Amino acid sequence: MTSRRLFEAAAYALFIALILAAPSVLGEFWLNRIAKYLVFGMLGVAICLSWGYAGILNLGQGLFFGIGAYMMAMSLKLASTTSQQAASDTPIPDFMFWNAEPGADQELCCITKSSFLWIPFQSEWFGLAMAVIAPTLIAAGLGAIVFRKRISGVFISIIMLALVLLVRLLIINNQPLTNGFNGLTDLGSFTVGGLVFDNFSKATYYAVAVALSVSLIGARLLVETRAGLVLQAVRDDANRARYLGFDVPTFQTFFFSVSAAIAGVAGLLYVNVAQFASPTFMDLSFSITMVVWAAVGGRNSLLGACIGAILINMMEAGMSETQALVESWRAIIGVVFIAVVLFLPRGLAGLADDLLNALTRRRAPSPVDIPVTSSRGGA
Amino acid sequence: MIDTLFTGLSLGSILLIVALGLAITYGAMGVINMAHGDLVMVGAYTTVMSGIWLHLGFFAAMPVAFVVTALIGLAIERLIVRHLYGRLLDTLLATWGVAILLQQAVRLEFGAAFFHRHIEGLGTGLQKVSVPEWMQGTVSLAGADVNLYRTMIIVVALLLTALTWVLMYRTPVGMQLRAIMRNPQMAAACGIDVDRMNALAFAYGSGLAGVAGVLMSGFKTVFPDMGTPLVVDGFLVVVVGGVGSLAGTLAASGLLGQINGVVAAASNDILARAVIFAVVIGIIVFKPSGLFSYKGR
Repeated sequence: MTSRRLFEAAAYALFIALILAAPSVLGEFWLNRIAKYLVFGMLGVAICLSWGYAGILNLGQGLFFGIGAYMMAMSLKLASTTSQQAASDTPIPDFMFWNAEPGADQELCCITKSSFLWIPFQSEWFGLAMAVIAPTLIAAGLGAIVFRKRISGVFISIIMLALVLLVRLLIINNQPLTNGFNGLTDLGSFTVGGLVFDNFSKATYYAVAVALSVSLIGARLLVETRAGLVLQAVRDDANRARYLGFDVPTFQTFFFSVSAAIAGVAGLLYVNVAQFASPTFMDLSFSITMVVWAAVGGRNSLLGACIGAILINMMEAGMSETQALVESWRAIIGVVFIAVVLFLPRGLAGLADDLLNALTRRRAPSPVDIPVTSSRGGA
Repeated sequence: MIDTLFTGLSLGSILLIVALGLAITYGAMGVINMAHGDLVMVGAYTTVMSGIWLHLGFFAAMPVAFVVTALIGLAIERLIVRHLYGRLLDTLLATWGVAILLQQAVRLEFGAAFFHRHIEGLGTGLQKVSVPEWMQGTVSLAGADVNLYRTMIIVVALLLTALTWVLMYRTPVGMQLRAIMRNPQMAAACGIDVDRMNALAFAYGSGLAGVAGVLMSGFKTVFPDMGTPLVVDGFLVVVVGGVGSLAGTLAASGLLGQINGVVAAASNDILARAVIFAVVIGIIVFKPSGLFSYKGR
């Protein structure tokens, strides 16, 4: 068991060292790209935490990502030059002028019916905080209802799927508040003191890399705590855990909320890196794509899911240079996906695990040492 | 008032034809087939293609589409789904991969796009199917003008439901299928060929998707991505109705169709869809087993 732990620790350390060392090798164009993939890696971690460890396949993780993104983007929109130049005391996003109520006061309080909701977002720290708080609270509230009612498995997946599509439609439908289908573009940059988190700056890259490292290590340590072990027991047999006296919904809700918080942070970082927020973040296909990343990387391994997300996106970027390859790339992804589910249910991490087992067994052939890894298929 | 009710009814019948196939593959077999919407898309393209290449009319396309999608469904079951029974969420993921493949097959014109060939009726663009002229008119019903084509969809949806009901509840094959739904091991022990029945049921469910595609092509633009929202709608209907219950699927599609029609008449289509999602979430939270609960697999 010790050599396995050593190997795992080494893999984490190597990965983190690699992403922190990247800026010394890569130019700013690639840094910006890699930063995006690292953000997707965080989504992989979030999915793995809820799917691999809690047994909750969330088909609406895009909800938390999207809300995080929108909260941050609202602040950055107000910080943009065009909003600041509006001829009024408060900054006003350009699209609100196009949607203004006839004869309304040209201030953030009342230019459109719901524009007052934007007032606190004049502080970028408020936007930053809300990007984490809002998804966490929504997940906690939702979990409190859903898990108390002992809804499980595919029903949670469908509730989340319906919810993310519902919120997406509400955002599209509320043009004066959210700029509808167009999303929020032309954003400013997050600024702390003199440090500007420009999307091509090293500061932004480091922010993303550190956030990913922290959430990766944090999640890995969290699943090893007593609460994490109880959670895995719940995943394997909720009724037995209940009979043993554990308050099952509390554990599920807690980890569901942590997963939502990580997705929210990913959303706010993505806005800083990509400089836009759009309802496409809440498309069904994006939420399912996240699950694909985690499945390819390894649904039971936090690092595996994270690397899966980064790897798939890097390959996609490599192939998306020519039009014909873009389309065939999607077909390849389809095939890869079917193959992974059929032949490699534990993903790349499972493959690494098997290799490691083969290696250690050859050196020390003690049958006691073979760990029993769970290869359960989801719920 | 009658207008709105009729719109709701026709929306509901579209939901019904999409959900009917899913009610069998998901309800009876415990497979979440995310490619179902794309089988509908294939059915729609079959109408386009058979019109261009075989000069078949709208109605003649229905059996063709049924056969084409049933064969694709059979292939999906034999190659992929067969290995995944009992792993519900894995079927969802694997069939999502199939869905992508089907979309890309149409977009890339079965690979011909690589060689810069173009097959008429395929590709990334939009396609349109023209409905026979006599069906585009309206008839007066209880003081309201109703569209003849929409009436036909309602009739066909009800006929297909009746056919499925007869197959499920009045034939030996249906009885075997229902036995498998209750308990596959016990059914196998009684001498039912579970493997063969599963393949048949999956093919039939997929074939229904193809017929749904023909009907959809008459009033919607046909394009490679058209299937994704359909499969979502279909699932919501099946889950709300109660997994494994044909009556539940019928009731749920009627209910959701009417809600959609009424809200859309009062506000707009986007809000109507949002309300549908909210209603569905409410129903699943408070009645997870669906409107017509049924103890199955």
